[in-house]
Amino acid sequence: MTPEVERLERLAERLRAVDPYVPPPGAKIRGWNLVLAAVEQSNTARLRVHPIRRLVLATVAAAVLLVAGAVAASADSLPDSVFYPLKGVLENTRGALTFGASDQLAYHLELANTRLTEAQAMFARHRVDLAAEALSALDDQLNAAALVIQAEKQSDPAVGAAMENRLRQAIVTHDAQLAGLQGQVTNPTALNAIMQARDRAAQALQTAGKPATSNGNGNSGQGNGATNSPHPTPKH
Amino acid sequence: MRPLGKAASDDDRPLIERVRQGDQDAVRALYERYFDRIYNYAYARLGRAEDAEDLAIDTMTRGLTRLDLFQDQGVAFSSWIYRIAHNATIDHYRRHGKVVLVSLEHAPALESADPSELAVEQLSNQDLHTAIRELTEEQQQVLILRFFQDLTAAQVASIMGKSVGAVQALQHRALGSLERTLQGRAVN
Repeated sequence: MTPEVERLERLAERLRAVDPYVPPPGAKIRGWNLVLAAVEQSNTARLRVHPIRRLVLATVAAAVLLVAGAVAASADSLPDSVFYPLKGVLENTRGALTFGASDQLAYHLELANTRLTEAQAMFARHRVDLAAEALSALDDQLNAAALVIQAEKQSDPAVGAAMENRLRQAIVTHDAQLAGLQGQVTNPTALNAIMQARDRAAQALQTAGKPATSNGNGNSGQGNGATNSPHPTPKH
Repeated sequence: MRPLGKAASDDDRPLIERVRQGDQDAVRALYERYFDRIYNYAYARLGRAEDAEDLAIDTMTRGLTRLDLFQDQGVAFSSWIYRIAHNATIDHYRRHGKVVLVSLEHAPALESADPSELAVEQLSNQDLHTAIRELTEEQQQVLILRFFQDLTAAQVASIMGKSVGAVQALQHRALGSLERTLQGRAVN
């Protein structure tokens, strides 16, 4: 052990022998009272937070359940349901997220089917006004489908032709259903709405068969009234 | 040297769990275990009983009311409470200023004083405390924790966030600086 290390070791030993500073009893008691008060206050604050957190969690859970329930209820809702506007919002959201001509065509044809089903249900409930709106929305969807086909024909005529064939088949099916419906109703307004719907469906097929014009009809199907309407039955 | 109570290396986890569950007896037990030690540490650092009392109470309050923060620290409760005390000391210096802050770590030994003549056994406790407060922050901390608080090098390393080797080297330099400080005082 070198002299320096010996010296430092002696100094270290001397430091170990130093009496510690001990707090006076009064300071320790005072400290305990203050610490205890702070700990109790902290515990109280924590307990106060818990009910608030529970309330927030319960509110969020209820909101989630409510929204999920409303969405589920709206999926099959009819035009006379309070959930029907939500159905339109969901459909438009889906439309905004649908890309590609084939998918857009399928989207419009599916909505056209839905509108036809709604119209049939409304006729059955003697809600001619709502049935007429549904038929008008049906035609909007067919027209939107026709515009998608027009645009597709410009870029790929073969694919466009196949899509046109899909539209034709859909319109034939719709027309058969509308003809059956026409035979069941006697209300002149209802008859008129059905006939108009059949005519407009035929016009949509003609639109699909025409070449796209430069006045904006030749878009890809997005941006038209049927797609972006906030309501499944936009015409009043 | 009178003992400062139960060793800081004792496992505090069961007590801490009980404190979290609102057990007041556990709060008292931790307070009893650490208050004297923190007071002693604070007094050695600050040199005034009133300041040491305030700092010890503040440290214990922070430590026992913020156990949720301790959970994520990954160190022993003893290390954590000493770190709080150290930070409180730094805050105190910032607010009130430090009387002496002269690093003697690299100061040359006084030629006029023969180190072998320094009679360490005759030094008063007050001399030692005063001389320690003239050292650097880290040197003070290592000497106080190692010799006044009787902690191991590993415990000090955990508190200071250093390796054991770094603490041992720092301790060696701190003792050398203390020796030179005491020599300087003896000469003057």
